[in-house]
Order: sequence, then C-alpha cells, then structure tokens
Amino acid sequence: MSKQYILLGSAINAHSADIFSLAVTNKHLLSASGSPALKVHAIQDTEFPLVQSIDGAHPLGCHHVVTDGSGTRAVSAGFAGDLKVWSCVDGHWSADKAATANLASARVWAIALSYDGMYLAGVSSNGNIGVWDLDSGEQIRNHETKNSFGTCIDLSPDGRLIASGHENGSVYVFSTESGRMPYSVTGLVKPVRAVAFSPGSRILAAAGNSKVILLYDTASGEQIGTLSGHEAWVVSLSWSFTGEYLLSSSFDGKVKVWNIETKACVSTQAQNDQVVWSTKWFVKSVNGKSDAFAMAGADKNILFYREASG
Amino acid sequence: MALLARPSLVTVSDPVTVQAASVRAYIDNTLTGLLHELSLPPSEGHPSITLRRRSNTATYAINHRNGALEALHSEILDRTYSWPGKSAYEAWRFSYFKSQNVVDTVVDDLAYTIGVERAALNVEAAGKGLITGPFTLRRGSQVVMDARFSSQDNLIPRLQEDDEIDIAGTRWILIIEKEAVFHRLARDNYHMTALAGQGLLITGKGYPDLCTRAFIHHIICTASSGNGRPPPIYALVDGDPDGISIMSMYKYGSMAHSHENSRFVVPNLQYLGLRVSDAIKDSELSENISLLALTPRDRHKIVSMLQNSPIWAADGPEPEWRAELQRLLMLNLKAEIEILYEREGGLKGWIDQKMFRQV
Repeated sequence: MSKQYILLGSAINAHSADIFSLAVTNKHLLSASGSPALKVHAIQDTEFPLVQSIDGAHPLGCHHVVTDGSGTRAVSAGFAGDLKVWSCVDGHWSADKAATANLASARVWAIALSYDGMYLAGVSSNGNIGVWDLDSGEQIRNHETKNSFGTCIDLSPDGRLIASGHENGSVYVFSTESGRMPYSVTGLVKPVRAVAFSPGSRILAAAGNSKVILLYDTASGEQIGTLSGHEAWVVSLSWSFTGEYLLSSSFDGKVKVWNIETKACVSTQAQNDQVVWSTKWFVKSVNGKSDAFAMAGADKNILFYREASG
Repeated sequence: MALLARPSLVTVSDPVTVQAASVRAYIDNTLTGLLHELSLPPSEGHPSITLRRRSNTATYAINHRNGALEALHSEILDRTYSWPGKSAYEAWRFSYFKSQNVVDTVVDDLAYTIGVERAALNVEAAGKGLITGPFTLRRGSQVVMDARFSSQDNLIPRLQEDDEIDIAGTRWILIIEKEAVFHRLARDNYHMTALAGQGLLITGKGYPDLCTRAFIHHIICTASSGNGRPPPIYALVDGDPDGISIMSMYKYGSMAHSHENSRFVVPNLQYLGLRVSDAIKDSELSENISLLALTPRDRHKIVSMLQNSPIWAADGPEPEWRAELQRLLMLNLKAEIEILYEREGGLKGWIDQKMFRQV
C-alpha cells in the first residue's frame, strides 16, 4: 500500500554549502552545513520561516547536530573537532558555555544525545566510543573497538543501549548500565553509515554502502528484517514517532518511507541526483497531528513533506 | 657586533640588471663587514651575517586584483649566522647546510634580505615539470623546443626574456598532478586526439616547482594577450587533500613563496576532477574500482587546510573546493585518478566528457 506525501514547503539555499545534518524539536528544525552558521526553522508555521541563525557556530563547518527529547538542548560537532552545547529558552537557542567547555577534550566524530539531554555519546575516527555527563563534564564510559572509523552512533530512547556503526561494516551495541556488549550484530559487510533505534527501543536499524537496511531485535541482537530498494549508499535513517515507519536517504538523492510491518517501501521522493545527507521525521500539529519529514543535502535546500490527508 | 646589510629598495619587478647590481652590492658590503670583524683581535671581532626572514605565522589572503595568495602583514625576523668552529672546514662540517631544505631556506632568506628574486642569485634548481602538445619555443632565431611530436619527456624550460612562445594550435591546457597519468595520456597521444581538439598536457610531478608555475603563468599571459579566446585550462588531480592542495598551488600560489605568487598565478584554472562523488558513482558500476579510506594524516591535513588558508575559508574564493574537502571528511574516502583507467571509456573518455561539460 503506497502512501502519498506532499511538498509542504521549502527553504531554498538554506545554507551556502552542503547541508550535512538535521535535528528536530517539537518547534524547530536545526540544520548544520559546511558553512559556519547553524540555522533554525520553525516547523509548526505554514511557511517554515527561518527564526534564528547561529552565526559563526563552527568556522570550518558542522557535520552533526543532535537534540534531546524535550527540545531544550542541542549539541553540534564541527569539522575542527569542536563540540558545542546549545540550550533553548523561550524559543531562542544560545550557547551553554559551561557544558561546551566540559567537552573540550572529547575528540569525537558522530554524536548522539540522550532523550533527557543529560548524556552525550560519541564515536571517534579511531572507533572509540565515549559517553559524557554534560553537566559535570565527566566521561563516564569509554569503549575501545577495533580502530575502524566510527561513522554514526545512536542512543536508545530508553537510555539502555548505545549502537555505533563503523567503516569496516561493524555495528557495536553496548549496554549503558554494564558497559558490556550484550551480543554481536552481524550482517553488514560494507561501511555502515547510519544506525537508529526505534522509539520503543525494541528495533535497531542499520544501513550504509550495502544499500539494504537491516533491522535487529535489540533484546537478542538477531536480524529480524531487511528493507531493500535503495540503489545507492544509505546515509541517513529516522524513525517515525509511532515506530510504524522508517525514513531513509541515499547518495543518489532518493528519500524512502518504509512500512516496518510489511517491510515495504511505501513512498520515494527525489528532487535531483545529489546526495541527501540527512532526513528527519517531525510531527506537524497544525489542524490536527500528522507525520511530516524534512530532507536536505548537497543541493543546499531543505524540503518539508507531509502525509497527504485522506 | 652583528652586521646587517640593509636591503636596498629593489622590488621584484625591477629588471634583472638592477637586481644583479644589488646582489653585487650586498656581497661587497657583507664581505667588507666580515673582513673588518675578522681584522679585529679575536676577543672583539664577531664575524656574523644576519639574514632577514619572513615570518611563517603571517596571515594570508587572496589579493583580488591579481588572484594571488599573499601574506598580509608578514612580520620580519632576523636570523644571525655567526662563525661556528675554529676554521672554515669546521664551519662547513658543523654546518647549517646538512640538508637541501636548509639550503633552500637560506637561499630564500638571502634573496629576501637583498630584496631580489631567487633567480637573481643564479641558484634556482632545474625544473622538473613536463610538457607535451602543440607548443614551440623560439629563442632569438632558433626553435629551442617543439613539443608537438611526443617524445613525452620535454622538460618545461626556464623562460628567458624575449623568448617567444607559440601555442596557436592549442584548444585546451590540462595540468595533471601525477607524472604516471601524464605519461599515459601522452603515450596515447591524447594531446592530438582529444574530442576538444589539440591541447597541452603539463605535469609538475606533484607539488609544482617555481619554474613550472612560471611557465604556465607565462603561456596563459601569452594566450590572453593574443586575439580570440584563450584556451580553457583545467586541473586533473587526485580526490584527496594533496590533490586539492596542489591544484590551489597552481591557481593561487604557495604560502612559502607568498611574496612571489602574483608572478605565477593561474586565475582561470578550472577543477576538472577527480571529485569523490564522481568516483563513488564509478565504483558502483565496476567491481574493479575501489576507493581508499582517509588516513589520520589525510584527515589532519584537510582540517589544517580549512583552518589555515583563505582559499578554503567559508567566505573564500573556492566554495566548491571547500565543499569537496568537507565531503572527503564526511565520507572518510579519497579517490586516485588511476581508478578512471578501469572505467568504461577509460581516462580519455572521462576527460572528453568532463571538458565538454565545463565549457
């Protein structure tokens, strides 16, 4: 059963360089790019207006931005290895200088923020995984892996697991409580570029150069499904808030919506053949609630889609 | 007493004769000073030579009038060379001159102290660049070089005043990072058989020397001063930090020679490739094409390029180069030109397509 998504709005040339990462709160879409500024668009307004530009956030550009569950905290990672913590008060984002200073020594590439905004997990170019308490600045976990570049990381919404994806095809899952690996995850041989836990923390999705998206049961580590259909590297994954749908974007500019129940692709969007570095679900709550998503990448535009009501 | 020969007010644009005169004056003054110190009793005489050096912590910017990378306010440092050891033999053995790098630096400092170009000191190294294609060089009444018929190993000549260059048959100029790629194209006669017509193949074998850069700058000037449109000029470099850095050295010059860059710039240089996104598409089509992961050195180099040079700055002149460097970091991949050999249509077919897309 296919679904219809309609283009709701767009921010054309939202950045002056490739947009590498998107993060959402209930009010805002934060975007990070090769240019120094982070941009904030209001997602509940019909025109998706730009409401804030955090100029000079990362002089060398920014490759990851993540938000917590309540939408009050964000962390961004720049190409110089610089991490910055942001807090949102009355709809305005500003630097949390104390928490930023605490992260000065954390050399990580991909990052994830816990649902409560208290912990930052990161994976570095040598494959090491660390967890930091943002308020004390203390590093509370350090897991060494096999020295393969860490491309992506996620924390489960229930806070119990960390998953990281690596260039050598490995996906590592650690328990945050014990610091141990409860099982090993197999199946992807080529570089992994995206990992994402479902909202209920019961499924882990992972994908990358193999083009397929693999689904794992987080209780056992067993592979429980394969989503095939992308014809290029998968670089970004996002779960809908109910966990019914998974969103993926690929190197050839395609964005796909997958039904998790049937494992079928129910919709494909493409504007051009340029890589879509990031795609993210959000809830559009104007005139009732509906699932919506944003996509952005090398064409420098942010596009907003919503499910056609019917 | 350290002796500091005052640099005379000679600029690099002065004719060779003026520069030669300041070199002679500098040598005379320096020797006179040294002899004076040596004639004093050993406890009083301190023979030494002080050279001036440009600070390497200067801030750099692109000069928009000439397209060159230039130092903004380069701080001048003095470095004093005193007499080491008890005899000339010991002095040389101690020596500052253990490696070529040291000699290069001293020669640079010496030229800067006197206020002349390196060339005026007659110590420039032989060029290492190669050229093939429809190009002749006439010196006086003689044709000293004819690169039309590929012997493949035409060393790029050091140009002299009044040399006449003829590139009338040239439809394009391709600057190639790697010598092996240059040889492959020259052997295949690409300079005579390209879809875009006849053209010049040039390689500086990695980072180009001053001679190669001066030569390219000169043929661009020659072509622009003639009638009609000058031929387009392209760079074919590896999709890695060194490739992009080498391309920038041709176009804007180097930080090490920022005082001379305006004489070597190639402002119209176009980025033909290899971009990593192109390489990824090819690697998906052929099992034989594989990309390499960045090394820690590569990642470090990209970050320092983004950090230190105005060329790749956010508001700099090359947003596409900056974007390419960032994409390399994102993907943690690099691509060598050689992968295009394995492609359908090969390297030649790929260049044919790219040149037409860029025109």
